[in-house]
Amino acid sequence: MPPSQGTAHPLRLLGVYAALVALMFGLIFFTGDKHHTPKLGIDLQGGTRVTLTARTPDGGKPSQDSLKKAQDIIEKRVNGLGVAGSEVVIEGDNLVITVPGEDGGQAKSLATTAKLYVRPVLNVTAPQVGKQAQPQPTPAATPSTAPAAPSTTASAPTTSAEAPAPQNRVFPEQAPTTPSPAPAPSPQQLQQEIAAAKALRQSTDQTVQLQAMATMDCSKPDPLQGNDDPNLPLVACSSDGTEVYLLDKSKLDGQEIKNASGTLDSRQGRWVVDVEFKSSGSDTWGKLTNEYVGKQLAFALDTKVVSAPRVESGNQFGGSTQISGNFNATTSKELANSLKYGSLPLSFTTSEAETVSATLGMSSLRAGLIAGAIGLVAVLLYCLLYYRMLGFLAGFSLLAAGVAVYALIVLLGRWIGFTLDLAGIAGLIIGIGMTADSFVVFFERIKDQMREGRSFRSAVPRGWQRAQRTNLSGKTVSLIASAVLYVLAAGQVKGFAFTLGVTTVLDVIVLYLVTAPLMMLVSRSPFWAKPSVNGLGAITDLAQERKATARVLVKEA
Amino acid sequence: MVDSDSELDYESAPMDKRHSLFERLYTGTGGFEIVGKRKIYYGIAAALIAIAMASMVFKGFTLGIDFAGGSRIQLPAADNVTTSKVEDVYRTALGHDPVTVQKVGSGSSATIQVRSDTLNAEQADKLQNALFDAFQPKDRNDQPSRSAISVAEISETWGGQVTQKALLALVVFVALTMLYIAIRFERDMSFAAIASLFFNLIVTAGVYSIVGFEVTPAAVIGLLTILGYVLYDNVVVFDKVEENTKGVLHLSKHTYGEKANLAANQTLMRSINTTVIGILPIIGMLVVAVWLLGVGTLKDLALVQLVGMIVGGYSSIFFAVPILVSIKETWGPVAAHTKKVLNRRSGGAQVRVGAAAVASSDGIARERGPRQSSGAPRPGARPSGKRQNRRH
Repeated sequence: MPPSQGTAHPLRLLGVYAALVALMFGLIFFTGDKHHTPKLGIDLQGGTRVTLTARTPDGGKPSQDSLKKAQDIIEKRVNGLGVAGSEVVIEGDNLVITVPGEDGGQAKSLATTAKLYVRPVLNVTAPQVGKQAQPQPTPAATPSTAPAAPSTTASAPTTSAEAPAPQNRVFPEQAPTTPSPAPAPSPQQLQQEIAAAKALRQSTDQTVQLQAMATMDCSKPDPLQGNDDPNLPLVACSSDGTEVYLLDKSKLDGQEIKNASGTLDSRQGRWVVDVEFKSSGSDTWGKLTNEYVGKQLAFALDTKVVSAPRVESGNQFGGSTQISGNFNATTSKELANSLKYGSLPLSFTTSEAETVSATLGMSSLRAGLIAGAIGLVAVLLYCLLYYRMLGFLAGFSLLAAGVAVYALIVLLGRWIGFTLDLAGIAGLIIGIGMTADSFVVFFERIKDQMREGRSFRSAVPRGWQRAQRTNLSGKTVSLIASAVLYVLAAGQVKGFAFTLGVTTVLDVIVLYLVTAPLMMLVSRSPFWAKPSVNGLGAITDLAQERKATARVLVKEA
Repeated sequence: MVDSDSELDYESAPMDKRHSLFERLYTGTGGFEIVGKRKIYYGIAAALIAIAMASMVFKGFTLGIDFAGGSRIQLPAADNVTTSKVEDVYRTALGHDPVTVQKVGSGSSATIQVRSDTLNAEQADKLQNALFDAFQPKDRNDQPSRSAISVAEISETWGGQVTQKALLALVVFVALTMLYIAIRFERDMSFAAIASLFFNLIVTAGVYSIVGFEVTPAAVIGLLTILGYVLYDNVVVFDKVEENTKGVLHLSKHTYGEKANLAANQTLMRSINTTVIGILPIIGMLVVAVWLLGVGTLKDLALVQLVGMIVGGYSSIFFAVPILVSIKETWGPVAAHTKKVLNRRSGGAQVRVGAAAVASSDGIARERGPRQSSGAPRPGARPSGKRQNRRH
């Protein structure tokens, strides 16, 4: 920037920045919902976040299409919870469910595939391997009655629960894992597991079936979960792990369900799930009840038998039935929700499920804000110490950037649903240092110029010329880093990359529209040229010294 | 060895002032031998890498819950809640012991944190009820509430998943920045930058291994952002090197290495300042995070950035610049030029004083001085050409 430029220019640039900030705040206060606080992540306001990883039978990547379908279904299930502001987003191969507030705990169980098949029971035994870790006082299946034809009762075979020895190690419910902490299974391993389980437990060969029943371990997570073939028989556990069933191929599936709700059966005093079939489904169900009078029909949800009532009478063409099992208010509603909103095209494992209490969220937010304030003050103090009064310019630039960052985060929260989480706050705090660094580079360039013997006044524009290049090159690298992280990284660190990227971009804007114009203005004032004010005395001295030395040397020569 | 011009000024100045270390740092005239003594710095770097590698191989890392899998339960640490009581409640409710129970944070933010093996929904529910019955934790409205208890379940595949993505990000990032630096600066600089990037990666990871800081997904990702920072720092230094070495090959007064060393000296203060300014907020964040919250994302990110920024500040000056010079002096036109300059220097030591006088006078003769360098500087550019003939 040549020094010959008109005096109005820096002021005009500052004016442009002021206008930009005014525009952003105008948008905040006069458009949209007019909330002037950023959208906070659940780790700052409390809530539940569940990260689900898709698990495909062949170990490959799930198709975007099926992920989208799954997202739709889970979204419906989440909305079924009735918590405002919940959302389900696709992040790479993961689905992330966020439910704000304190009632989102149920979100943790929304990812059940909910593939329901009605399969006739061929055989029942108690599990032989890996006795379950937990005592279950009630058996799996309990009488089921169809309201339309209240004549089915089920006598669920009960096995006396073995006296369970207290175990120190509890078995993970969902993660496919071996008891010892092992590295994550590779997709290939997973694929093999599924294939092996299929070969053993879905065989049509009676010997293999018997063997499968004998070796079935109900305490382990089921690799077949959501991946069983409905057209083959299946060896499955009851949902509480107390029985092993040999089931025939599926006669009716969950697609035929029109509606489901969890209700309290007042006569029995227990929670059940009322199921309403579509017309085709009620037909099938009616025929099924005719065919299996006196026999057991199992409701197998995600390869676990939820309920296996004995059919007491046929001709149940009323289009509805009841599933009873070991439910409570929450679980019956969850099952109803899952059935009602359809089965997921993919099976998921929960990678991370976190419920943060509002209390903890508040503490985190407070800690983040305090940390930010401390960081800002520390940087300001250091700038004042090192750059003397020029430190005020650095500070002013920081504040200008801060105001814009705040406005932008509020607006982005509104426009693209950007939520500020703890990692995002960390990004902002780290951004303070990066923003201040633009000033450092600029200042050092001015020093370079003064070392050459220039006055403060002429050093500033020349220093700026060079600092621009340096800054732009540096910030480009930072921006590449943030962008790569944002696109490729998993989990909540996205927020970190995002705020870091936003501060980088804003930093460049502030440098051009605020820091540089301010420095130009300052360079023209005699007050700021004083070494005691700008702290550049040492450099001036050095330049003087050099001049003197040079003169002497020239004379000597 | 010959080096920075300032040193000469002091030697020959009649009213020689003693300059303090800080002053020399501040004015960028430290005249520190960085490139010249690069063997020492390579030694230091090699030693650091060796220690880091050894620790990673023999000691390994302390992996956080995200890598091991498990559940984490947190509840506010009110007066009636102690770790031993919580442990008792846990044992009674679930029939086995938790992995750890600790109190973290302080003041109203203090929480009791229980880490256990993965609990299924039923167990988590049972535990939550038991804890609520025992302690009646209060929510933010001061009402006893079950939801004041936070529960997190993390599968052991999660950390691996994050790490896998981080590695992918690293590869993409390295490729993109190499390309960018090669286009914006030059190919050799991008090699030097990447070398210093891996130096950082290894040393920072080594510090984590040696100290035993817990490795969490946040720390893994934090490591990546440090790389962004390190490269940013490198770019700033290289920018100065590029500026200083412009046209160096057309004259035989200075070697590339000497000009690079000058650049390193001139950016030394900036690197120190940037590092200080960069780590001040991070230290603030670390202190607040540990003090108020005890653990979590904030601490993980702060810690890894703190370590990385310090290593990064060091490496951009003391590792990247020497490496760059070494690469340059191994092949290409710079190698030939350096040989020429050194040959010439050993023969022509006599002309020193005279040349020096002319050179020093450039300080004043800046605007009207004789232009010997190829091509006049752009208006407003630092008069780099002239500085090259300051000596000899």
